[in-house]
Amino acid sequence: MQLNDDVELLDGLPVIFIKSIDSLVIADPHLGYEGVMAKKGVLIPKVNLKHICTILDRAIKATKAKTLIVDGDIKNEFSTVDEEEFNELYDFINFAKERQVSLVLIKGNHDNFVERYRDAFKLQIYGQEADIGGYLFFHGEELPIGMNDGTKMLVMGHEHPAISIFNEVGKREKLRCFLYGKFKGKDILVLPAINYFASGTDINAVPEDELLAPIFERLPVGEMRAIAIGYGSTIDFGTISELKRAIG
Amino acid sequence: MIEQLQRPFSDEESLAVLDGNVRGWFVENFKELTPPQRYAFKLISERKNILITAPTGSGKTMSGFLSIISRLFDLSLKGELENRVYCIYISPLRALNNDIYKNLTVPIEQIYQRIVKAKGVDIIKDNIRKVTIAVRTGDTSQKERRAQLLRPPHILVTTPESLAILLNSEKFAMNFKGLEYVIIDELHELANNKRGVHLALSLERLGDLSGSSFTRIGLGATLYPLEEAAKFLVGYDNGKPRDCMIIDASWSKPLDIRVISPVSDLIYAAEGSTEDATYEEINRIIKESKSTLIFTNTRSGTERVVYNLKKRFKYGEDIAAHHGSLSKESRLEVEELLKKGSLKCAVSSTSLELGIDIGAIENVIQLGSPKSVTRAIQRFGRAGHSFKATAKGETIVLNRDDLVECSVMLDAALKRHLDSFSVPQNALDVLAQHIVGMSLTRKWDVDEAFAVLRQAYPYHELEMEDFIYLLNYLAGAYVGLESRRVYAKIWYDEKEHAFGKRGRFTKVIYMLNQGTIPDEVAVNVFTAQNKWIGSIEEEFMTKLKPGDVFTLGGHLYRFEHSRGMKAFVTEAKDSAPTIPPWFSEQLPLSYELAIEIGKFREEFGKIVGDSIKRKQVRPIRRKEALPDKVGEFLGRMPMDENAKLAMFGYFAEQLLFAKVVPTHKCILIESTENTDTGKRHLIFHSLFGRRINDALSRAFAMALGEMLDIDVGIMVNDNGFVLSAEEGIDSGTIDDLISDITRANIGRMLKKNIRKTELMRRRFRHVAARSFMILKNYKGYKITVGRQQVNSQLILSAAEKIDPNFPVIREVYREIFNDVMDLPRAEQILKDLKSGEMTYRFIETPSPSPFAHGMLTFGHADVAMMKERRKHLQELHKLVMKRIKGWDAAQ
Repeated sequence: MQLNDDVELLDGLPVIFIKSIDSLVIADPHLGYEGVMAKKGVLIPKVNLKHICTILDRAIKATKAKTLIVDGDIKNEFSTVDEEEFNELYDFINFAKERQVSLVLIKGNHDNFVERYRDAFKLQIYGQEADIGGYLFFHGEELPIGMNDGTKMLVMGHEHPAISIFNEVGKREKLRCFLYGKFKGKDILVLPAINYFASGTDINAVPEDELLAPIFERLPVGEMRAIAIGYGSTIDFGTISELKRAIG
Repeated sequence: MIEQLQRPFSDEESLAVLDGNVRGWFVENFKELTPPQRYAFKLISERKNILITAPTGSGKTMSGFLSIISRLFDLSLKGELENRVYCIYISPLRALNNDIYKNLTVPIEQIYQRIVKAKGVDIIKDNIRKVTIAVRTGDTSQKERRAQLLRPPHILVTTPESLAILLNSEKFAMNFKGLEYVIIDELHELANNKRGVHLALSLERLGDLSGSSFTRIGLGATLYPLEEAAKFLVGYDNGKPRDCMIIDASWSKPLDIRVISPVSDLIYAAEGSTEDATYEEINRIIKESKSTLIFTNTRSGTERVVYNLKKRFKYGEDIAAHHGSLSKESRLEVEELLKKGSLKCAVSSTSLELGIDIGAIENVIQLGSPKSVTRAIQRFGRAGHSFKATAKGETIVLNRDDLVECSVMLDAALKRHLDSFSVPQNALDVLAQHIVGMSLTRKWDVDEAFAVLRQAYPYHELEMEDFIYLLNYLAGAYVGLESRRVYAKIWYDEKEHAFGKRGRFTKVIYMLNQGTIPDEVAVNVFTAQNKWIGSIEEEFMTKLKPGDVFTLGGHLYRFEHSRGMKAFVTEAKDSAPTIPPWFSEQLPLSYELAIEIGKFREEFGKIVGDSIKRKQVRPIRRKEALPDKVGEFLGRMPMDENAKLAMFGYFAEQLLFAKVVPTHKCILIESTENTDTGKRHLIFHSLFGRRINDALSRAFAMALGEMLDIDVGIMVNDNGFVLSAEEGIDSGTIDDLISDITRANIGRMLKKNIRKTELMRRRFRHVAARSFMILKNYKGYKITVGRQQVNSQLILSAAEKIDPNFPVIREVYREIFNDVMDLPRAEQILKDLKSGEMTYRFIETPSPSPFAHGMLTFGHADVAMMKERRKHLQELHKLVMKRIKGWDAAQ
């Protein structure tokens, strides 16, 4: 689905492609998640990395993009780099290298210590936010600061947006979605999490004041459009307030 | 060989096998041997495996123990009694363990005193020691445990869970070498569930560890089939069941039981008068008997009955409640008071069914249906404590379906037609647990371990392939090599064909997390606006489907979805409840009893049909005599007059209104409209019990939904199920539906259907915890149930991605299809429908037929909603009466 001339939401995938900068963008992979959980006694089989790579393979094939921008939270643990995390991070970086895609990391709140790998792996790492070709990428746990007249769009992650749909007998289905709206006159796009386990926050069910990102206190969430992904396609479900009205 | 014994030994023969001192003690204290003792003393002394079923008060415990005590004193007198465990006694209840301990300590002391008297100082010279007994459960203190390690008791009294821990306590397990006897009590409480499966494996491991083939003694109340229970007890050896003698003394107690209907018209008795009559009836029975025990099926029912009896008839402390939600102390107090005979009446949900010693009860009342013949007999068996006394009891019915169910049930009880139980087979989660337990003790050759496991009856058909799959799973084969350090519980070497323990923490994890009883807590209920409303039991939530309406605190709510330990609902003011709050407490109707009821419907329906052709129903309402044939038929059944009149009325109305009575061979499918709500219903009168209907209803709803491209709501109960469908449905649609579904693979359909349900999510947690995939306790920290639930959902989605046949997932489906539901029988019914062995009939009715009323008002069946149910029922009933000619509904 084409969001505008330059930005495409790849069908059925939590990935966008920006033509002018030849880049794919994803958010919130949370690599190493299972390993960290396993150390807490929760033996979740490892599927996340493979899942992400499968998605990216499809996206790279479809777009031939040369750059992959990870819009925050490439890893899961806050305080250190866990050994399990390191292994997956290493595999992920190699995966990108094999496909001849250069990696750009925007640091998220889970990404402390990630600088350690900057030199070894020749990574491009941005702290708070990055303006790349007029697109302002920031993770979302803080407000963006670098907006200017030339800013074409704000792109963030962090929130893991999703919507819940109920059918007639009340069965619930949750779909990950993009949120697309306006912030201070600029377009803003919130990316769904690419992490396999983060099924997301029901934006149409959770009260607005419980959303994580501070930016949602400063923009009308109800007016944002929910563009859901699932079953191999990407469909515009209308605005959040319409959805709330329809679903109750 | 498993054989049932018919002829007891004489008292002389039986007593002759006992040591002189023990015999002397027995003769001094008892006048005669009870029926089970006449078999057991001799057989156990010959080291035969035996299964004894007998009612409470028949000297069951002594029959199991006396020969063993005799042998131990015999050894002691010869100076051969060693410091080790000779006999392990296992019961599912800690309370029962404490009872047994008390009940054995006294006889042992008395016997010892006789020996002391006879021997004098030789006692010291010959070092003649007293037989020792000790209890080992989760309650046993550290100090006692240490003492038991230093001086192991000759008789160890324990629970299945504590036994499993002992098997992995290297030092203590040394004391099991040369073990001679194992007694399993309350076998009927273990044989049909995973606790029992777990125990069966423990026993085989115990056999391996002790290096001896110990004598197995099973004690239990009535259960059927006995061969199945015997196999469970003794296990297999070389692919064949080990020898076992069955002693069925469960019928030694005569039954004097009947069904009572408090009024002759269960629909139109004036407001409150059914209730009044019910309590009057209960009060009369209490007054007439020395002591009465009342079973109510649900905890809320128990509280209500106690409250009403006290309020209405000025009872005081002489009436008490006993149920699972009360504190251990207050339950113990009630048990003590009962034993002392100082209670006039005790009211229990189900908790007093088990063999806890409660002394002599004269009369048992059951309010509503106990749902199985076996259970009814067990409960009635609580009456008349001595083995010669008659068990006296009444079942008071509360509605017309109850009336039919209980009448058939009691009739079956008197004819000794029991319903059957089955042992869960090849449960992979319990097996996984024991494999870890085994690996902790030593390195195992795969074939050797496989042979030990297959000796347990629940695994006698275990496939090597499944076993290997499980070994791979436990060895962490589903994650990369570098992660196995964390994931693996065992190592498994394919080449060496062996496995063993792995990981520093595995033993701690095993000790803290083993066992089969899932952690459960209350689920908090919120509205979408995050307003807290109350709480429901987790088990109840597993029964909820999105869209189900239930009552909580007197209000109606519609279930939406859940997150962790939170359930979200919306208010549902104008809807009819679809599921009663006690649904999860109520046991499902047994299949055998369901079929008996179907047969009764067929037979009695014919008789009523013949008689109403000649006569109108009118006289019945005026309490005149029943038609001759009807009276004659019902006269053979254990029912009072009111019950007979109500029964006739019920069938007559159904026949006059719908011209047809559904039976065990004919499913009636009724398309009708609920006049209250204007909603169309498709009612399946498939009286096969809830477990089968649960499976059938989901399959039918899916098939119908696909055919008409609509969402179909479901209500399920024992007598059938109701599908909500917006459109009118004709007989052509039904024919297509039946032909669709009889050709479909409903196992596969249901897998798809339950994948996203609460049932699946919650059961997955239980199974994942049993398989050590999520831990209840990790490195000493208790993990909350909510956390466990969230974690298990993550694991489920990951495991499914790796392999939809992941052992843990497979086990969840097995548990749901075979233990929660009864898929095999549901499939059989569909097969019979296809072959014509089972038929169906479709009718359209302007309002629901009488046999459907219970199903439609089922959700109302709660305390708070009783009035509404009555109102609703009466309205439905009036519509029926309007249709039946010659009936004046206004009367």
